[in-house]
Amino acid sequence: MATVAQSSRFGKVFWPVLAWAIAIVFFFPIFWLIFTSFKTDADAVKPEFLFFFKPTLDNYLNMTDNYDYWRFAINSVITSTFATTLALVVGVPAAYAMAFNPSRHTKDILMWMLSTKMLPAAAVLYPMTFLTKNFLGIYDTHFLVILVLCLINLPIVIWMLFTYFKEVPKEIIEAGKMDGVSTWGEIKDILIPLAWGGVASTALLTFIFCWNEAYWTVRLTTTEAATLSKLIEGNRAPEGLFFGRLSAVSTAAVGPIIILGWFCQKQLVRGLTFGAVK
Amino acid sequence: MSKRTLPRLLQSPAVILLLLWMLVPLSMTLYFSFIRYVLNSARRPEWTTPALSNWRGFGNYEYVLFQSKDFWFAVQNSLFIVSSILILTVVLGLALAMLVNRSFPGRGIVRVLLISPFFVMPAVNAVLWINMILDPVLGLNGLAVEGINDIIHSLKDFPVLGAFFSMWPDIVPISFRATQTSAYAVIIMVTWQWTPFAVLIFMTSLQSEDESQKEAAILDGANAWSRFRNLTVPHLARPIAIVVMIQSIFHLSLYAEIEIVSRGNGNKNLPYLIGEFTSNNIGAASAAGIFAVIIANIVAIFLLRMVGKSMMD
Repeated sequence: MATVAQSSRFGKVFWPVLAWAIAIVFFFPIFWLIFTSFKTDADAVKPEFLFFFKPTLDNYLNMTDNYDYWRFAINSVITSTFATTLALVVGVPAAYAMAFNPSRHTKDILMWMLSTKMLPAAAVLYPMTFLTKNFLGIYDTHFLVILVLCLINLPIVIWMLFTYFKEVPKEIIEAGKMDGVSTWGEIKDILIPLAWGGVASTALLTFIFCWNEAYWTVRLTTTEAATLSKLIEGNRAPEGLFFGRLSAVSTAAVGPIIILGWFCQKQLVRGLTFGAVK
Repeated sequence: MSKRTLPRLLQSPAVILLLLWMLVPLSMTLYFSFIRYVLNSARRPEWTTPALSNWRGFGNYEYVLFQSKDFWFAVQNSLFIVSSILILTVVLGLALAMLVNRSFPGRGIVRVLLISPFFVMPAVNAVLWINMILDPVLGLNGLAVEGINDIIHSLKDFPVLGAFFSMWPDIVPISFRATQTSAYAVIIMVTWQWTPFAVLIFMTSLQSEDESQKEAAILDGANAWSRFRNLTVPHLARPIAIVVMIQSIFHLSLYAEIEIVSRGNGNKNLPYLIGEFTSNNIGAASAAGIFAVIIANIVAIFLLRMVGKSMMD
């Protein structure tokens, strides 16, 4: 666009300034969250300390006492990591088979997998509670959260991997077959090294989705396996009393993921559009 | 082993897992939707365990449709919230994508700032907006309105203009905790979160636009508006359809934001209503759940028709 834009002198200044202004407006709530996290709870609600105040780290130092932050954070790390790993372990062979040995039904299977994403979670809330609580006895366990997070992300994982694998020339895989390499060897030694970037960004994106998931992680846990989503949801209405400490714990919950997200902007497009926009 | 067996074997764990995940809970919902099933009943204890002897036929469906006053409101509200978010994110997303698509100093930083809201977890998004920004007393909303009132008050002391300003009433900040306004709050916070997603997709798509076509159009004397109208808009049709589809999937099951913003104030969407039923009346919750599945399917079929086929290319 820049090559053909007939920018006037006014446009050369105006549009970039507007872009900057809007970007700042969009980032402002996050900035405000971080900013407030350095105020004491009392200062956070006083207009006279709106912009100028004595910054304190107390909110961060007291996160464990105030909210038992690390227990929830560790649960988030454990469940997101294992769910991502499990989704890849199940997804890579499936996407490999679909990309290199497609059958008549491959397209239908992919579309069907996509359609499982459209099933409203709320419709099966009680059966899931009933099954896991009364029947399987796995309610509020890491195992359950890992399994559910894996299942809800599996369609995206397979779609993403499928689009990445399709870009690997088929001849290379065929050549491996000729040389008598086993299927496992093909995946491990040929495909994964070739599509490494794709696999890594799939993993990164899945991890972000798992971390931010806020339906099942809230509804299928009480204390043992509760994640950061549950922690924040449980402290939803501080009535102005705890803005400072709540900001600190929220910043700690979203900070790492925002930074991780910056690294996979490009892949996000492919992942969220199931490979339709590259 | 035949040529077909191995690929099937490799796909089977994924297919079986997803099949179980889809079928088992859903068939239970279907079953529960046809029986009388409540969690607590002193009067009819036999209803507290699911059994075929408590068969109710379509009674739960009738109850949800005609007797529970909230169902239609919830459906209407779901659609209102989803369509508002869709319109806002597509319009804002298009405008911002065009804006950021040209090169200017600091473009990388602008992109990073713009995309950030998308990665904020929904629970934090809701807690942050409703408490620290939209609260009519303690949030920036309240403080800003107070500031404006103070300015007007001080202007009233001016000799001539004061008479003019003294006719101005005090502005009252909007409370976003009432039934209708909390739906607006949800729309605001979700739009904030998902506009970056639309921007990202439109930007990716704009970069693949054919430049030579545009230059030819300029040589032919087409003005900026007609270039936009005849070249850019058709090129963006597919990404717009995709943004609409993906967001519909996510926002029809919007939950955390409603739960945090609207608990107890009467504002609800379908998932939230199902959650409310689930605290006791499982039969009604299941019937409402089946309606949610039907609505999602209608939307999905409609949308997949629109974009699904082209996604396979």
